[in-house]
Amino acid sequence: MSDLNTFLFNVFLFSIIINTGLSLYGVFVRPSLIKKVIALTIFSDSANVLAIAVGYRGWPSPDKPPVPPVVTVSEPTPSELLRFLDVAVDPLPQALVLTAIVIGLAVTLFLVFLTLQIYRLYGTTDMRKVARLKG
Amino acid sequence: MRIRKILPLLSLSILILTLSLAFTSGALGYYFPLPGVRMLASWYLYTTLNPQFPEFSAMSPEAVTAIVWDYRGLDTLFETAVFFLAIVGALALMRGISLKSVVENNTATVEVEGNGLSPIVKTASRPLTPLIIAVSASIALHGHLTPGGGFQGGSAAAVAPLLLLVIFSVYFLVKRGISEKPMLVLRTVGLLGIYVTAFLAVIAGLVLGVNAYVFQNQPKFDAPVGVPAYVFNTLLSGTLFLFNLFEYLAVAGGFTLVFILLSIPEEIARSVLGGEEYE
Repeated sequence: MSDLNTFLFNVFLFSIIINTGLSLYGVFVRPSLIKKVIALTIFSDSANVLAIAVGYRGWPSPDKPPVPPVVTVSEPTPSELLRFLDVAVDPLPQALVLTAIVIGLAVTLFLVFLTLQIYRLYGTTDMRKVARLKG
Repeated sequence: MRIRKILPLLSLSILILTLSLAFTSGALGYYFPLPGVRMLASWYLYTTLNPQFPEFSAMSPEAVTAIVWDYRGLDTLFETAVFFLAIVGALALMRGISLKSVVENNTATVEVEGNGLSPIVKTASRPLTPLIIAVSASIALHGHLTPGGGFQGGSAAAVAPLLLLVIFSVYFLVKRGISEKPMLVLRTVGLLGIYVTAFLAVIAGLVLGVNAYVFQNQPKFDAPVGVPAYVFNTLLSGTLFLFNLFEYLAVAGGFTLVFILLSIPEEIARSVLGGEEYE
């Protein structure tokens, strides 16, 4: 069973890598600015999913049913904290992804506005045509 | 010419192969998923709420929000600054373009009731909008205890005006007071609140003459100031609650502002932008 899990997780990781490559291809090669923005969001989302996967952990005892990793008292004893430590996932990637999502969304919004403005001024979002225009 | 087509494909294939090689040779650890958490994570999890070690503990009930506010507060502050600057940039690009003239000249008032989608969608979305606001407020105000927080709540709250924008029209929102100016004010109030919350404990410490830290959440053993953990038997867990509240306001206001700006009709934008050229 654990072999199957490891195999599935490797498939998952490989799909994220392929996703990263494809989205970077979109950013570099596709001429349309809209498609560049879409590819950029796919890239940042793949990076975020990868970061969450880094913080993931397996359930320590597969035979027992899982319980939510929460501390239910406001003054926990050391043994309660150690039991919590056995089941909780890494909080650091989650916090970093939280920050990355906010920044990614803000940057995407700015890029969308920039693209809209370029379209209004030049009548095209094709990067090759925009680069050739003057003024 | 051909090399310009081959080069991106080649470099991306090399990237994919290198990343695959790195992951299969143990860049994320040899066992995947990992059987336990890393040392740093166990340190965070063990000391986030630990009354036995008050000198190390952040005294915060939830680990992710503790990292966002207690351990890495500067990250959060500059992330808010990036959000602020991106919306300022969007506003600067759209300067001068406003719906105000259209609404004041009464050209659109006749169409307000007729605009938008069918009456079925409108009737269904009327009770839905307060529910979205309520759920988003619950996400934001429980952010210090459960997954979620100010940003998630604010994004969920901004869905409600977006829904109204699509189903009714942008004039429907503007006529009910949800226009650019109030949203700008809401966002600015939220951001100011976040910055004041960051320095709240320091200000209190200066007034009382005791030791205090920037981004301090709850009273620590050498810095006895801070918002108490329990207020009227409700777990507030310090300044995190205020941070979530203000972040909620800032994000909801900012996104609503951006959605309204994006939905301004093309003719109005062009008439402001191009001057005589487009007429």
